[in-house]
Amino acid sequence: MIQRMAKVEILGLKDIAIDAIDVIHDQGTLHIEDLTERIGKMESKRVSRMEMDEKYAEHEVKLRMLRDKVGQMIRELNPPEDHLDKAEIQKAYSDLYSEDVELMTARIEKSLEEIERETREPVEKKNDLQVELSRLEKYSPIMAKVQPLTERVARMENMSSIALIIERKYKVILNYLNEEISKITDGECEIISADVDEESTAALVVFNRRYLKQVHDFLAVQDVNQVRLPSDLARKPIDEALEEVKIRINEIPKELERIDVSLQQATAKYTNKLLAIRNTIHDRMESMEAVPKFGQTDQVFIISGWLPEESVKPMEKALYDKFGNKIILTVTDIHEESDEEETPVVLKNNPFVRYFEIIYLISNYPRYGNVDPTIVFAIFFPIFFGLMVGDIGYGLIIAVAGFIVYKKMSDKPLASMAGFVMTVGGVWAMIFGAVYLEFFGDWIGRWSGIITTNAEGEDVVHYLIGSSKTIIRYPMDRLDGFTLFLGICIIIGVVHMTVGLIIGMINGRHEKNTKHILEKGGMVLVLWGLLLAISRFGFPHWPKAVTFIGALMIVAGIVIGIAGAGMGGAVESIVSIGNVFSYARLIAIGLASVIMAKAANDLAKEAGKGGVFGVIIGIIVFILLHGLNLVIGVFSPSIHALRLHLVESFGKFFEPAKYKYEPFKKTGGEQ
Amino acid sequence: MGVAVKTGLIAISAALAISIPALATAIAQGRIGAAMAGAIAERPELVGTAIILVAIPETMVILGLVIAFIITGLKTTVK
Repeated sequence: MIQRMAKVEILGLKDIAIDAIDVIHDQGTLHIEDLTERIGKMESKRVSRMEMDEKYAEHEVKLRMLRDKVGQMIRELNPPEDHLDKAEIQKAYSDLYSEDVELMTARIEKSLEEIERETREPVEKKNDLQVELSRLEKYSPIMAKVQPLTERVARMENMSSIALIIERKYKVILNYLNEEISKITDGECEIISADVDEESTAALVVFNRRYLKQVHDFLAVQDVNQVRLPSDLARKPIDEALEEVKIRINEIPKELERIDVSLQQATAKYTNKLLAIRNTIHDRMESMEAVPKFGQTDQVFIISGWLPEESVKPMEKALYDKFGNKIILTVTDIHEESDEEETPVVLKNNPFVRYFEIIYLISNYPRYGNVDPTIVFAIFFPIFFGLMVGDIGYGLIIAVAGFIVYKKMSDKPLASMAGFVMTVGGVWAMIFGAVYLEFFGDWIGRWSGIITTNAEGEDVVHYLIGSSKTIIRYPMDRLDGFTLFLGICIIIGVVHMTVGLIIGMINGRHEKNTKHILEKGGMVLVLWGLLLAISRFGFPHWPKAVTFIGALMIVAGIVIGIAGAGMGGAVESIVSIGNVFSYARLIAIGLASVIMAKAANDLAKEAGKGGVFGVIIGIIVFILLHGLNLVIGVFSPSIHALRLHLVESFGKFFEPAKYKYEPFKKTGGEQ
Repeated sequence: MGVAVKTGLIAISAALAISIPALATAIAQGRIGAAMAGAIAERPELVGTAIILVAIPETMVILGLVIAFIITGLKTTVK
């Protein structure tokens, strides 16, 4: 359900504004309303946006710089997430945080200096070494290729050389360079090249030393990479330089290891403090950045926002205790439609339903004042999922995998929610698997002799209860009972859509919108009329009057729909009939899965007839095809169950909220 | 008309019932997929919506599959 909210306005004397903001921030329950737009629309110019005083603005600039600095330090130390000590972070946070910004900034600067003294040097050294290593690793293969070429050049008198590195796909440019450098050097040049790796080619331009400057000038404007060694190596003969490069490549990782050890010690020592500093700055800056959202007159400040009804009293008490009569908190009712549209939404569901709030990852929260449909999703989604997957084996795997994700990732809300939903879906898949008697397809049915193949090669189901002609039967084979399941899916569709439409009617009643109620009511009549009209396909012994009543209900529903929403209502009613048939996917998706599972079993069985080798192939085929079917079996039913909710059911009533409740709250060192 | 011809016609009808909507679905999904790929590049948070939108035209092929199944069921009534 949607938590009831209260709209509040807090007015106080301007001299306590900053302290009042701090108390509100401490309470952490107020979702701030940005008053900028409202103030802009006011005719009277007595109310303006609240502005920070100059000194406060200076602190903001300083804190912003400190935030960048601490962020950089955290990135450099890269602390492992699983070694954070929340209690330690909170303690450090409490030591640093102060309502006096100047004092807080001084404490932060002192702490950062202390940390920097110990970490700056190794961090810089590490960065330099990493740059050097990557440069040398790039040079090494190039030099190795160029070395034999330069040895040949060294034997030539008065000749000079320049090494180039070129992308292999542009190798053809060497011909152009050869032509142009030949012109510059009167033909006294040669280009020797060798491929370094799949991407680059090393080339050595050999030419008469007399033309050194001209060739250098020419290459400088040609956008080709000249291999320039680090200055300390550039003057050495290439074989010596290459040897030195190899030694450095071996040495640097060892040096890096030593630095990493000392950095790890520093990380362990300072991570909690750095995170506390980051959180402190974040909280203080959030408080500062909120200031322009508030209003002010010459004498008073105005803060407006929403908070859960149950948080009004504690907020009032906290403000009154600190400021007495210098501040007033007024609660205004939320009842107008425009108020509800602006009201931020927070959901308050029981622990089971809360996991299904995962649906709001792809949709906004429902609008304030409307019915929260999460419980509908929590009930129907796993049932739809189970109905489509419907296999004890697959269900077991999905439930176990989901449960492991749920337990192992309890600290990651999204993964934990997905794991829980998967677990419940898996359990329903097992329940429906038992109804269909499916365990990795028809495996259990064939093993128990319930499904056999006759002389014509057709599958025959020997029902334990009833027969293929009765509605009550067991097992409820999906292939054999396709038409029956189609009927069941349509009934489920009508029920599911009716739930959505009833929610729509409740929302309409809340908004006192009779037309809305009539439109949804008309659609309910059309859906149930349709069900009655086609019921004689399943129950031929029912009187013809049932079909007639069904047809009458459809007509009445369309008329009521027109009364509610004009021709749009009639169109919607007819579209809803199409929506009902969309629920056929509940059986169709499952059917595709059954056929694939059956194919996997048949192929594995056939392969198994070919001796030991055949059995191995059979097992591989069984695992691969069932694995594939399981992956499709998780993905496709999830998507289609989601779609049935978002399009067919929620589409009939759901109005998204404009804002999610995001309270103005300190991290308190927790994040 | 012989049983074999009737059975053949039923099989062709069932094949058409699934294949034509399958093609239509493929065309629609291709277009939606391409559009959503562009949209996701701009706004990655639209992934969930994209999955739902891509699944929407699947109704055609699913109903095609249902009709194909109903048509193949006619086989038993051929005399």
